[in-house]
Amino acid sequence: MDPNIRSYLIEKEPYYRAAGKEVALFGAAYARRLPMMLKGPTGCGKTRFVEHMAWRLQLPLITMACNEDMTASDLVGRYLLDADGTVWHDGPLTLAVRYGAICYLDEVVEARQDTNVIIHPLTDDRRMLPLDKRGELVKAHPNFHLVVSYNPGYQSAAKDLKQSTKQRFGAIDFDYPPAAVEAEVVAHESGVTPEFATKLVGVAHQSRALCGRGLEEGISTRMLIHAGGLIQEGVEVHDACRLAMTTPLTDDKDLIGALNGFVESHFGPQP
Amino acid sequence: MSMLRRPNFAHVPRPAAPSTSPQLQQRLQILKDNDRAAYDALQLTLPELSGRFEEERDLVELLGLLCQTSAEAPDCTLALIDRLATLPPLKAATLRKWAFDGLQRFRNEPIKRLRHFELGDPLAFGAGDEVTDAEHLLGKRDELLHYLAGFGFPGQRLELHEPRTVGSAPQCLTIGNELLLFPRSFVSVHTDLREHLYRAAMAHAAAHMRFSVQSRPAGNRPPMLVAMMSLVEDARVERLMAQQYPGLGTLWGMFHVATRARAGFDFAGLAARLARTLHDPRYTDSNAWVTKGRRLFEAAAARDLHDILAFDKLARLLAIDMEKMRLAFKPNMYRVEPAYRDDNTVLWNFSAPSTSDERETVVREKFELKDREIDPAQAEHTRRVEVDLRRRTHYPEWDCKAAALREDWATILETPPGKDATKRSMQRPAARGGLRFRGLERIPDRSIRINRLEEGDELDLNAVVDSMVRRRSREVPDPRVFRRHGRRRRSTAIVLLMDLSESTKRFVPGSFTSVLEVEKRAATMVAESLDTSRDRIAVHGFSSNGRQEVNYICIKDFDEPFGLDQRNRLRAQEGRLSTRMGAALRHASSALAREEADNKVILLLTDGEPSDVDVFEDEYLVEDTRHAVTMATGQGIKTFCLTLDRQADAYVRRIFGARNYLIADRADAFAGHTGQALVKLIAH
Repeated sequence: MDPNIRSYLIEKEPYYRAAGKEVALFGAAYARRLPMMLKGPTGCGKTRFVEHMAWRLQLPLITMACNEDMTASDLVGRYLLDADGTVWHDGPLTLAVRYGAICYLDEVVEARQDTNVIIHPLTDDRRMLPLDKRGELVKAHPNFHLVVSYNPGYQSAAKDLKQSTKQRFGAIDFDYPPAAVEAEVVAHESGVTPEFATKLVGVAHQSRALCGRGLEEGISTRMLIHAGGLIQEGVEVHDACRLAMTTPLTDDKDLIGALNGFVESHFGPQP
Repeated sequence: MSMLRRPNFAHVPRPAAPSTSPQLQQRLQILKDNDRAAYDALQLTLPELSGRFEEERDLVELLGLLCQTSAEAPDCTLALIDRLATLPPLKAATLRKWAFDGLQRFRNEPIKRLRHFELGDPLAFGAGDEVTDAEHLLGKRDELLHYLAGFGFPGQRLELHEPRTVGSAPQCLTIGNELLLFPRSFVSVHTDLREHLYRAAMAHAAAHMRFSVQSRPAGNRPPMLVAMMSLVEDARVERLMAQQYPGLGTLWGMFHVATRARAGFDFAGLAARLARTLHDPRYTDSNAWVTKGRRLFEAAAARDLHDILAFDKLARLLAIDMEKMRLAFKPNMYRVEPAYRDDNTVLWNFSAPSTSDERETVVREKFELKDREIDPAQAEHTRRVEVDLRRRTHYPEWDCKAAALREDWATILETPPGKDATKRSMQRPAARGGLRFRGLERIPDRSIRINRLEEGDELDLNAVVDSMVRRRSREVPDPRVFRRHGRRRRSTAIVLLMDLSESTKRFVPGSFTSVLEVEKRAATMVAESLDTSRDRIAVHGFSSNGRQEVNYICIKDFDEPFGLDQRNRLRAQEGRLSTRMGAALRHASSALAREEADNKVILLLTDGEPSDVDVFEDEYLVEDTRHAVTMATGQGIKTFCLTLDRQADAYVRRIFGARNYLIADRADAFAGHTGQALVKLIAH
């Protein structure tokens, strides 16, 4: 493996508990080098899944969190100055294309439209990246794989991927795992007992029923892990849930009241 | 109780107590014109009443209230007048709250509404300034509905019971069809525990809705058996619920306080102790009956908590034992303990016939859907009925005297725009009528970048590199290495709201143009001169005929061009009826809320203050409109009023705020003023 990307290799297995067939599906898509799109609500395990797959496939993983200020040159690279003159620096995408890594663009809809277009030649059978500034055409390394993620829930209709971009990808729909699996994940990641994790998951399930009543998304698995971690640190249950789960979720007083009520329905009234 | 007692008209009414107040006289006159019967009845009690009120202002208030109720429900007004003399001393505001609570709650049930006025207790609304249980509960309503949704019951409503009448049994929670009725006060529970109590009650209701068979025929079961079966059912569903939500056990446990010493040995006491025994495994009761109850229940629970018949059987055994103890059971005064539990009417159907009290089926009847045979003559008749296509939307109104929102009080009838309207886009080239927006209102937008500038906010790294490359290769470097964020114009959505009331037919003083004509000219000017690529405009009009009929006309909707149809529609509008501004403003706000724009503006063109045929108090509609404006501001919608009423200063400033109105005194200047106002509004 090229020393340029060796540092991106994941050495220890990241914990991932599959809830469906996603591991097999992703493996098959990789075998065909089909670019993948991971959809799903925030904190349900998309990023962790990619890390896990990178480890499983023994590929380096180069992650870019997209934002609206990101330009095409942030992705492909640019000339920089040094003492002798200008030097070309590969961007993260070029690095992955050149040496063969998984390039993971997190929250890809946040990126500007012109940024999205540069991945088009990479995602069809051409598999190449033109660097017009440098006058170079980078042929993708056989191992190169492009993965993007986005959360269809909270972005408005205005922020959506173009059809021409969408249709280049295969997609896996992520959701919060079934209750038993989610409890297992929470117990593993935070260290609380399985019974305790089941109660936390119960609270999350009740909160997810409030979607569309003023809540954009319910309590995520990530929040449950945070709360569980705090409880392991010795924080009182209700305080931990309030800190890590209910208060960050919304500013609406009534909703917070109801969410704290759910905590109460699983852990009893606060002493 | 006697039903409505009509005043004796054979008796010649005594003249009212001499009164000097013109306000009082005015209100009496209104009442006389509106509702002669109520006026006559009032004449009988007026002398007595005027003795009871120290200040005449209170009497004026009372008369205002009577005018209002007589417009809503004449029968209730008579009932109220009948009771006035016998009511304990009350504040007028309390009476008002109570009266409107009844009018609102029973707006579709005239019989219950009348009962409210005949028998209801106004004192329930008069607990002074402290927050009553009822108000406290209503403040928590949204929270509790969210809470219930978390248990999987999102479509519920939450209301209060009718105020208790004297001598009736204490109330509990009642679970109805998608409706939960809370009692107005919980006597036995400390106020600190109120919120826990509400949640306990909601969770208990959720348990019934999830696990109980509802509306079983009660048949000829004696009331005590029904009570006992309900008690066992309560314990059963709670246990099932607690399996999934383990914290609920502790929450409910907070209210199980019955002990041998506190609850006593009568039926209610023993029932409460049994309820506690079944709930709390650590509680031990010395009573043999209670112990037997626990033993039977635990045995059944160990087998299968879902086996309803087994639990019915043990309830029957307990009831028989209770019968042997010869304890008196008064079904009318029995209240289920502890306080959070509901009255269990959801479980029973007391009117349905039962097959037999021993072998009733617990499976609910299956309904067969049959095609109803349609009588051809009747079908002909139904087909001929004209359907009112206008969309109905309800809006609240602000009652300034009671300081409360009357929910769903005003009804907007919206005429949809013509069907062929959207097809044509025949828009004449806009005659730019002097509205210049250029140079104003530009906001920074990070998604727009202006590169290659000689000066700017930040260095354009790519341009710097290019420039350096050129310098090295001994070419002339490009000095334009800066860049900055672009700015874009704000997009604006405007609703031009035209007052189409009767009074707009009048001529503007000093001219031969009617107010409506002036409004139309202004609307045309504004609609033509806006840049439709950025700004969206809708032209709406309104006129009202009482709270049930606020007509709202869509002359040009946001998605339509201002074409021939729209112009014709605008031209066809005529002034009629009255001006209920608040409802119209609320409807315009909700139309704007669906728009996506940086700026949202309602521009109201009117000629006078709000008024309507069913409102007799001067303040009411003004304050309601002010409330509507405040609510709109809260949603980020600016409101501006242009009026042709020279005496408007007094109320317009109150409604719209000091800077948000303009009084145009000349007809020819009105359109120009409108344009200027709009430019200013969009700019800031």
